[in-house]
Amino acid sequence: MVTIQLFGMTKMLAGNQGTLSLALHDGRRVKDLVSVIDAAYPKIGELLQKKKVLVSVNQEIAHEDLEVNDGDEVALLPPFAGGSHRSTR
Amino acid sequence: MSLEQVTKADQPATDDEAMLVRVQREDFSIDEELRRVRRRSKRIGGIAMFLGTARDRSKGKDVDGITFEHYEGMAQKKLREIRERAIKDFGVIEVLVLHRYGEITIGENIVLIIAAAEHRAEAFRACQWAIDEMKQITPIWKLEHTPEGEVWVEEHP
Repeated sequence: MVTIQLFGMTKMLAGNQGTLSLALHDGRRVKDLVSVIDAAYPKIGELLQKKKVLVSVNQEIAHEDLEVNDGDEVALLPPFAGGSHRSTR
Repeated sequence: MSLEQVTKADQPATDDEAMLVRVQREDFSIDEELRRVRRRSKRIGGIAMFLGTARDRSKGKDVDGITFEHYEGMAQKKLREIRERAIKDFGVIEVLVLHRYGEITIGENIVLIIAAAEHRAEAFRACQWAIDEMKQITPIWKLEHTPEGEVWVEEHP
């Protein structure tokens, strides 16, 4: 299971939950995580696809091919208060 | 304030680098933060400051109050990076970066950047860069309370 921290509008879109616990069966990369979220929470999935919401792993914005390991700190980051996201690196 | 009190407040225990980068719920004193920066070096000759406050209008709509949410840990990490890069890239002597979270009343302080340098030009440049960078890379979110309801703010030109 991977625990994902939610903030701002993503928390609201997940029914005001602060965290999500998801099981990754088919692959452990960030893009696999995005697929699982998309299936469970299509509205968040759409924002992830559009890169309006970014995934961070261990407090850094993560590339979609990055592998998520047990114990990693994962979060969904909606657009920051001050401006649009710069890049997904 | 007596001379003794000033001396006590100058003790390094409360003036380490951690105090120069903070995300906190409570308001801050600009005088106190300026003193904190000035104590860092006698070579400081120019200080530029940016203070962000809560306004009652956003994109043409009334705002009654603001709530800031932050990602504990990552927010501090990004603010530390901003301080370190500002010092390294702009040749300034010290930079202080503070941001509040929680509920903020209209008119209250939200964010403070202080850049101190030998001369004003570097101080101005570092200060402007730091606030622009903060808005780009720091995981802090703004919920505006309006008469029509609450809105998570996405972008701010």
